[in-house]
Amino acid sequence: MRLTRKLNITLTALSLSIASGVFAATAHADTLRVGMSGGYFPFTFVEQDELKGFEIDVMNAVGEITGDDIEFVTASFSGLAGMLESGRIDTIANQITITPEREAKYAFTEPYVYDGAQVVVKAGNDTIEGVEDLSGKSVAVNLGSNYEQLLREQPNADEIDIRTYESNIEQDVALGRVEAFVMDRVSATQVIKEKGLPLELAGQPFSTIENALPFRDDEAGREQRDRVGAALAELRESGELREISEKWFDTDITQP
Amino acid sequence: MLNLEYMWGLLPVLLSYLPLTLQMATIAMVFALILACLLAVVRVSRVPVLNGLSLLFISFFRGTPLLVQLFLFYYGLPQVISSLIAITGVTAAVLGLTLHFSAYMAESIRAAIVGIDRSQTEAALSIGMTQSQLMRRIILPQATRVATPTLMNYFIDMIKATSLAFTLGVTELMGATQKEAAGSFLYLEAFLLVALIYWVIVEMLSWGQRRLEIYLNKAYQR
Repeated sequence: MRLTRKLNITLTALSLSIASGVFAATAHADTLRVGMSGGYFPFTFVEQDELKGFEIDVMNAVGEITGDDIEFVTASFSGLAGMLESGRIDTIANQITITPEREAKYAFTEPYVYDGAQVVVKAGNDTIEGVEDLSGKSVAVNLGSNYEQLLREQPNADEIDIRTYESNIEQDVALGRVEAFVMDRVSATQVIKEKGLPLELAGQPFSTIENALPFRDDEAGREQRDRVGAALAELRESGELREISEKWFDTDITQP
Repeated sequence: MLNLEYMWGLLPVLLSYLPLTLQMATIAMVFALILACLLAVVRVSRVPVLNGLSLLFISFFRGTPLLVQLFLFYYGLPQVISSLIAITGVTAAVLGLTLHFSAYMAESIRAAIVGIDRSQTEAALSIGMTQSQLMRRIILPQATRVATPTLMNYFIDMIKATSLAFTLGVTELMGATQKEAAGSFLYLEAFLLVALIYWVIVEMLSWGQRRLEIYLNKAYQR
């Protein structure tokens, strides 16, 4: 008897959570659901349960102009594209790089961050001074990121031992488990400066990267893209975009 | 060497995500148990048609990784059946855990049922019990005792498997830890702390399991 009552409570709890789920999914038109990993310093990260970073500041500033409620949704990076495509979020603010494949699939805003792909090694490793020295070496990249693609386009791609990671690539290079990782120059610089891991940049960036916000390529998605894109242009015009960049990076990464 | 101050400050933050982790595991466990019992009984009594379906169900959910199943249901199916978009990450995770673990649990419940001496079945049938009376009064109470340790194993595994929910956008204990570690770069501290939290929870469950086993053993004590 007692067991059935407990079961009843659990059943009610579940049906309630399913019901609330139905309501949560029918999002209002003026809510912009922004997906991000929450694990990519200093673009998006968490300190003491508070979501912070460059992307959060930019999106909140966009929301102030468009009047949208900005709702941040964090998920593993590998889950974000699925969330966008299945309509659970409206865009991804996670330093998403424009690629031909992604452009064919999504509606992008104009770029709001310009950057380069950077090889990073453990401090003191002077055998690697750029992407051309990676032949025969193990190199870590994040799963689902476009750095693997960039590496595969290099002339020495066949000789590079590319390892894809779900997370923690900086840690594995600092530990010496892989010899290098590839990440964008801006966040790599920031990681080395702020977090005291024994890492250093190896040579110059080897590819230009333009980052923008992807939306679903349908009518509603393109409409959101235009609205957010106009707000980004306004932020660029007023200098606020530059200020946000300087707050997190000490430099303006929003100009080519 | 260890930044204890950071760990101490992180503890209440991580603990605030523990209820969600435990809720998902507990609800999934309850439903998985019910489903697993049904599957096991169908398999043991060889119910026509249903037996074949149970075999297919168990084969699929045991034969593919949980992460693949979660991605399939949460991201894949809504592209075909658009109404499935209404399912939240938490519900999808609970559903995935339920289906996945019920397949394993059905087999261990089946083993417990089959393990009970056939003479008991014959005795029960000879005094006129129906098949369902036999199951409810004779077989299942004994099978429960046999199956408890392995079922607890699955529950423990399930608690840890809830960490996959972060791929569906559900910030549970592990997801919260990953994000905090990304902010502080104190990986050792953050992951050590979360490991300790999981360990303590599982130890508390093991204690409960010992109590439960003593209770279920009462009839066998002399």
